Amino acid sequence: MKLRQTLLASILDLCLGAFLLSSVWRVVLPALTDLPAPPFGLVDVAAMVLAGSALIVIGRATGGSLGRAFARGALPDRAIGRRVTLHLGWLTFVVAVLTGWIVTEISPIEFFSGNGLSGAGRIFTALATPNFDIIGLALEAMVVTVFTAFMATIVAVPIAFFLSFPAARNVMSGSATERSIYTALRALLNITRSMEPIIWAIIFSVWVGIGPFAGMLALVVHTVASLAKLYSEQIEDVDEGPIEAISATGANRLQVLWFAVVPQCLIPFLSYTIYRWDINVRMATIIGFVGGGGIGTLLTQYQGLSKFHEVGTLVIIITLVVWLLDVASARVREALK
Amino acid sequence: MTPLIEIDRLSHTYANGVQALRDVSFSVNTGEFLVVIGLSGSGKSTLLRTINRLIEPTHGSVRFDGRDVTHLTGEALRKHRAQIGMIFQHFNLIDRHRVLNNVLYGALGRTSTMPSILGRYTAEQRARAYRNLDVVGIADKAESRADALSGGQQQRVAIARALMQDPRLLLADEPVASLDPATSHSVMQYLERINKDLGMTVICNLHFLSLVRQYATRVIALKGGQLVFTGTPEEITDEWFQTIYGEDAREVEIR
Ligand SMILES: Nc1ncnc2c1ncn2[C@@H]1O[C@H](COP(=O)(O)OP(=O)(O)OP(=O)(O)O)[C@@H](O)[C@H]1O
Ligand SMILES: [Mg+2]
Repeated sequence: MKLRQTLLASILDLCLGAFLLSSVWRVVLPALTDLPAPPFGLVDVAAMVLAGSALIVIGRATGGSLGRAFARGALPDRAIGRRVTLHLGWLTFVVAVLTGWIVTEISPIEFFSGNGLSGAGRIFTALATPNFDIIGLALEAMVVTVFTAFMATIVAVPIAFFLSFPAARNVMSGSATERSIYTALRALLNITRSMEPIIWAIIFSVWVGIGPFAGMLALVVHTVASLAKLYSEQIEDVDEGPIEAISATGANRLQVLWFAVVPQCLIPFLSYTIYRWDINVRMATIIGFVGGGGIGTLLTQYQGLSKFHEVGTLVIIITLVVWLLDVASARVREALK
Repeated sequence: MTPLIEIDRLSHTYANGVQALRDVSFSVNTGEFLVVIGLSGSGKSTLLRTINRLIEPTHGSVRFDGRDVTHLTGEALRKHRAQIGMIFQHFNLIDRHRVLNNVLYGALGRTSTMPSILGRYTAEQRARAYRNLDVVGIADKAESRADALSGGQQQRVAIARALMQDPRLLLADEPVASLDPATSHSVMQYLERINKDLGMTVICNLHFLSLVRQYATRVIALKGGQLVFTGTPEEITDEWFQTIYGEDAREVEIR
């Protein structure tokens, strides 16, 4: 194995050993014996390192180790190594399920207890008998949510459009500078995209105050990042022929992009944009929970007051609107093909 | 008189290490209809693209009208390209745009960015676009979408686009390879007329020798990136044919 693979395998095995030991020692055993785990200390760290090292040693000796298998992308060649790897895999899976069961506080007793079931009955009855007195208020909030999503999409599209060209490999293949701009931009977009809109909503609700504006800004950031990526992949996919033909006329770079690349991309761009608006309506609802305004905010307010008849009304409206938009956007996108 | 094009010991190696041209030298005079033949992969397309500098060759030089254009960049490169029209096997029109606009794109090299993007072409440019469509006999299709046309019609639009450049030279990279025989002849006849009537120099890659014999005033042949033959169409004997295309090759007729 190459040095880098060995290093990666060792790090993975160390982490796996630490995970197995601490899971068993601090989660599974205390739950079984009903004793609280002792406070976390140096002993635990030492034990975790030891367990990890043990796995590394086993891996060295037999060739059997999950870290090695992952780093190589293949099971070991020797039969003993393969057996050890598979056993370690099963052990890890079982420990993970046990630990997961305990930390998520799964409790069938509560799920099926008389008390629990009567609670479920109450909320389902409430949800099923919505209070339509608030329908005006609810619709107003839904309109705010739909427009939050709409405006976020409208604002994000031109920004994403301009960013998508420097984020396309075939546009930025001219010089070393261009390639590094491309790499940096792609990285930035990926990082931005992996931050969930709900986190952006928390940031912006502090920045501009709770309300639809904060929700819109949060959606804009996420939409720019994901549309720019989708757009730029489309740009990378265009037919080279028209690019050659327009370049051959002596056109400059902007003209080549505008006349040879853009016409090939417009319809797919439009399709992605509609799809994104559809997603944004759902996200705008969720974002409302953390202060992004609209129907999500209304929903958390009623939930906080345990007014479940009102919550029922909101749920019906949200479901209806999301479903309608979903159908409509699928239809439009189908027609665009 | 200096030749229009002088290629001197030209070589090109692609980034992936493929050497597409090896030490190729020849020249072309104004008014010639030069046909380039050779097997698939022999370097014909590469050669054409070094002339209008879609490709920068790795060694040797290209002179156009006495001027060294081998390593032009920026504005000078675009001016050079604007003087040379090019047509392609797959026509390379902008499918979703109207035929007239496709022809107008031939003027992009002489139009600045903003007016062209806003679609502000001069009345003179529009008139010329119509005239060029007339030259290839499809002025009546000016308002159609480019992708609504047949292959032969699309290639004629591409010729009109090239003419829109008012070029000194026309490059044609296998212009009839995706057309049926009858349409092939029609397109070749337009090229012939442009060569004879307008006196425009043409360099054309072709696959079928029957077309070569009919339209070329001179022929060069490439094999593995090297120039292996220069002469008139009549001089391509059976022996030359086998040198160029290999022992097992058979000549196919296209009528
Ligand atoms: N962009 C490129 N990158 C790398 N290699 C290339 C590229 N374009 C062409 N080649 C290679 O260079 C050689 C010459 O290609 P070229 O396209 O010039 O040949 P051709 O004579 O036009 O062939 P054809 O009749 O198939 O069009 C081939 O081996 C080809 O694979
Ligand atoms: Mg070719």
